[in-house]
Amino acid sequence: MKGSKASNLLRRLLYALIAIVGVATLVFVLLRMVPGNPVATLLGEHADKETVERISSSLGLDKPLPVQFADYLLGALRGDFGQSYTLGKPVSELIGPAFVNTLWLALAAALVSWVVGIACGLAAAIHKSTIVDRLFMGFSLLGVSLPVFMVAMLLQYVFARYLHWLPVAGVTDWTGYILPAIALGWGSAGSIARLVRSSVIEVLQQDYIDTARAKGRTGTQILVLHALRNAMLPVITLMAMQFSGLLSGAFITETIFSINGIGRLAVQAIAGRDIPLLQGTTLLCTFVIVMGNLVADLLYSVCDPRVRKEA
Amino acid sequence: MTRRTLEVSHLNTSFFTERGEVKAVQDVSISVNKGQVVGIVGESGCGKSMIARSIMGLVKKPGKIVSGSIVLQGKELTSLGEKELCKIRGKDVSMVFQEPMTSLNPTMRVGKQVQEVVAIHEDVSREEARRRTLQILSAVGIPEVEARYNAYPHELSGGLRQRVIIAMAMVMKPHLLIADEPTTALDATVETQIMALLKQLAKDGTSVLIISHNLGVIAQLADYVYVMYAGRVVEKGSVFELFDNPLHPYTHGLLGAVSSLRSQTKVLQTIPGVVPNLAHLPAGCSFAPRCSKCMARCGSEQPKLVAVNPEHEVCCHLKEGADSL
Repeated sequence: MKGSKASNLLRRLLYALIAIVGVATLVFVLLRMVPGNPVATLLGEHADKETVERISSSLGLDKPLPVQFADYLLGALRGDFGQSYTLGKPVSELIGPAFVNTLWLALAAALVSWVVGIACGLAAAIHKSTIVDRLFMGFSLLGVSLPVFMVAMLLQYVFARYLHWLPVAGVTDWTGYILPAIALGWGSAGSIARLVRSSVIEVLQQDYIDTARAKGRTGTQILVLHALRNAMLPVITLMAMQFSGLLSGAFITETIFSINGIGRLAVQAIAGRDIPLLQGTTLLCTFVIVMGNLVADLLYSVCDPRVRKEA
Repeated sequence: MTRRTLEVSHLNTSFFTERGEVKAVQDVSISVNKGQVVGIVGESGCGKSMIARSIMGLVKKPGKIVSGSIVLQGKELTSLGEKELCKIRGKDVSMVFQEPMTSLNPTMRVGKQVQEVVAIHEDVSREEARRRTLQILSAVGIPEVEARYNAYPHELSGGLRQRVIIAMAMVMKPHLLIADEPTTALDATVETQIMALLKQLAKDGTSVLIISHNLGVIAQLADYVYVMYAGRVVEKGSVFELFDNPLHPYTHGLLGAVSSLRSQTKVLQTIPGVVPNLAHLPAGCSFAPRCSKCMARCGSEQPKLVAVNPEHEVCCHLKEGADSL
C-alpha cells in the first residue's frame, strides 16, 4: 500500500517533468520562430552589420540552434537562464526578488478569494433561493465577469483617489497589496463561491446526510462534520489550480499597480525581445502551474479516501 | 401486560406543493408493542416511508405533519422542537435506510460513524465509546472488527455496510428501530442474513417497525402487518390472519402477485391500473378504480376500518356490508 503510494507520487512527478520540458522546448522554438533579430531590436535600426554580428556572437546567438537549445536546457537545470539583454543582469537574479513580490500578491489574493468565496458560497447554499443567495451569487457573478483591469481601476478610483484610504499603486508596506489582492482575487472568489454553493447543495441532498440527522446531529453539526468535507472535494482542486494561476497570471494586476513581480518582468521582456528573460519567466510560471496541479491532485487524494485507494 | 413502544394515531402528513396539497399519509394509526416486529407493506409511493420519516421528525420541506399524534414511550413527539427531537433521534428511536451504498459518509471511517452516535447522546470517554462501537459491530456480525473500524465505506460490501448502518441504529439500544426497506438493495443471501439479524434484535427486546414492498420479508419477520394503499391503512392484522385470510381486494392482489417457483400459472398476476396521484385522490375508496369488486358506493364513500375479529381489521365496503347484514 505504502509502496504504491510512493510509486504513484514518482509517476506524477515524472509527468510534471515531461510537461515542463515540453513547455521549455515550445518556448525555445516559438521565440526562434518569431521574425526579426532580437539584437537589431536591442541596438536600434541604425546599428551597422558588424556590431550586430559581434553582439550576436557574444550572446551566443550565432551558434547552431541545437547547440543553443542544449545550452539553454542545461543552464535551466542549474537555474541559470543567461544574462538579460535589456537589464544587463543574470535572469536568475531578476526573477528571484520578482517572484517573492508575486508570491505575496498571490497569497493575499488567494486569501481574499478563499475566505470570500467559501463564505459566500456557504451562505448562499444554506439560504438557497432566498435574497441572500441571489445577493451573493450576483456578487460572485460580477467577480467572474468583470475584467481585472476594470475592477483594478474602479478600486483605484474609489479607495485611493476618492476616499484616500489606500495607495493608488506601488508597494511600500502591506497596505499596497490590499487593492491588487482584491482586484486579482475577486474573480476566483466568484468561481469558488459558485462551486461551493452547488457542491454544498448537492451534498446536503445525499442519503448520508439523512443518516446523520437520524443519529441526532443538529443542522450546524451536520454541515460542519458531514457536509463540508465532502462538499470541499471539488473546491480544493479548483483552489489549488487557481492559486498557481494567481502566481503566474498577474500580468495585468502587477502592471496596473506597479508591483515588480514576475508578470511585470515578463511584459518588459516581451516588449524588449529579451529572450533569456522571457525564457526564464515563462519557465518559472510553467513550473508553478505544473506544481500547483500536482499539489491539487495530491490534496484531492488526501481528502478523498476513494481516490486514495484507486491511486 | 404488553408495553406500548409506539402509538401513532390519526397521523396526517402532507406535501404542500405548487400544484396543491399532496396527502402522503392519511389518518394512519399504528401501534408497536415492546419486542414486537410490525410490518408496513405497500407499493412504492403509498406513503409507507413518509410514516417512518414522520416518526423520526425527518419530513422534508415542503412536507409537514398536519395532524395526529406520535407517542414514543409515553412521550408525544409531534409537539417537540428540533432540539429535543435531536436528543431522541438515534437514542430512543433510530432508523435503517434503504440504500447501504449511499447512506454512509464516504469520507469518514465507518467505526467513527458508529462511534459518533454514542458521542452525540452520551458523555463518555473516547475509549469507552470506541469499546462500545467495537462491541456492537461484532454483535451485528462484522468479522475482524478492529480492522473494519478503520475502513471507509467503499472498502466494504453492501451487506457489511448495511450491518454497519444497523450497528449505528442499535448502538444506543433504542426502544424502536425503524427499518425502511432494509434489504431491498441487497442480494438474496445477504437479505436472509440481515433479516435474521433484525429478528434477533426483536428477540432481545427492541421493537422493530419494518417497511417493505416485499411480502416475503414481511411474512418472515413481522408479527403484525399493516397494508397501505395511497396513504391509508386498508387492512391490518396479525401476520397469520392476514396471509391466510386476506380480506381487502388490494391485499388479495398483492398476494396474488407474489411469484413462486411452485406456482402452476406461467403468467405473473398483476393488479391492473396504477397507484392514483396523491394530489388528486378519487372520492370514496382510493382503490376503487383498480378494484375488480368495485360497487356503486365505493366511488363516493370512503370506507372505514372495521374489525372482522380481534386480530384483523379491514377498510372495505364489502366487509362493512357483510358486517351489517
